[in-house]
Amino acid sequence: MSKSSLFNGFKTLVAKHYGSNTGKMLIHTGVIGWILSSAAQVAAIVINDKIPKEQKMYLIPQEIADAAVNIVSFYAITQTFSSVAKRLVTSGKLLPKSVKDWMSVKGLLGKIGKSTSDIYKAGLSASAKKRLDVFKEGIDVIGTTAGSILSCNIVTPIVRNEIAANRQKTSIAKMNSGTNVVSNVNNVKPKREFIARPTLQTFTNSSSLKI
Amino acid sequence: MTSLSVNSISSAARSVTGAITKAVPAVTVNSRRANKTIAWIGKKISSPQNRLILGVSALLSQPFIDLNNRKVDEDTRKISAARTVAKIIAGTLTGVAIRAGCIKAIDAFSKLPAQLAKNVKNPKLKTLFTPEAALTGALKDLTHYKKALGTIISLVVMTFTNFLIDAPLTKFLTNKFVDRIHEKDKAKAVKLQTNKEVSHE
Repeated sequence: MSKSSLFNGFKTLVAKHYGSNTGKMLIHTGVIGWILSSAAQVAAIVINDKIPKEQKMYLIPQEIADAAVNIVSFYAITQTFSSVAKRLVTSGKLLPKSVKDWMSVKGLLGKIGKSTSDIYKAGLSASAKKRLDVFKEGIDVIGTTAGSILSCNIVTPIVRNEIAANRQKTSIAKMNSGTNVVSNVNNVKPKREFIARPTLQTFTNSSSLKI
Repeated sequence: MTSLSVNSISSAARSVTGAITKAVPAVTVNSRRANKTIAWIGKKISSPQNRLILGVSALLSQPFIDLNNRKVDEDTRKISAARTVAKIIAGTLTGVAIRAGCIKAIDAFSKLPAQLAKNVKNPKLKTLFTPEAALTGALKDLTHYKKALGTIISLVVMTFTNFLIDAPLTKFLTNKFVDRIHEKDKAKAVKLQTNKEVSHE
């Protein structure tokens, strides 16, 4: 495949999937954003010469685990919010007055309002469909944004803090018992500085930049 | 994420969606103003605005979550809250600016043939990112397409700026905030000591 047809294929793909769906785009680019930022965090550890190899073996899986929590939480919550928002509109449970009135006049209200109903199959006119599309797009963006706020700003920080605190506790316990691989490695003098504040290191490494 | 976990998340989301749709009573949005606002949100809110909303709400929630994390000591709580604030400020500033910039850039090079003046320079360049569907007339509104493509391009740009801008800016701001916290703690300790001495006298 030539470069130009590959480029055209990419443009067509973007137009097809996101040409009329902002909510879907926000979720997918959000997930890609989390993956890239997590990859950057992992890469930052990998290329950091000041961190000994043995510590990297501990820090890299830790960073990957954090990334998994962030990504799964973002996708699951935001996707659910977006789906609920869209389904409420397509089932006819959440409608603008203009569309509801039009359906009432046409005697179509009996075809909607159940969780399995599909308003788009109820026989909407072109103008009613257009009004509904505009409304659905807005509700979808509101749902997606609410889901993102809940996942990124409430659920993820709480879960992350919980995990980081447990790790910190385990690390301190292991260090005190002298069995910690990480702390044993740091018995070498030049590496002393890194374990001088093990709690902080463990804690600060557990959060990633959101791009 | 593996396809298995994506599928299980999607099927869980479907089940939750079905249950909520069933439980929620029918609602009609009667207010003209509310309907206008919903339409405006769907048309105008895209990734830069979404990132800004996330950043502002993050500032209102995340530092307090960190400060109330009773599982770590007070010093760690303060430092982590300082880092969180720094990270949010740096991430939001660069995130919003780069997304908006990339969308604007894509907009300049995604013109429809009908939008081009007859003697425009470089017409090929002006339609560089225009999809074939728009050139053939099948896709008439490019607004969402341009925002989506701009956001995708911005993600590529941010892979680099994450290292070049976000990380150093986060570090700089964190150090500033931490210094401030230490200064305040020091002043508090001095004040406490002075009070003790006064009470002894």
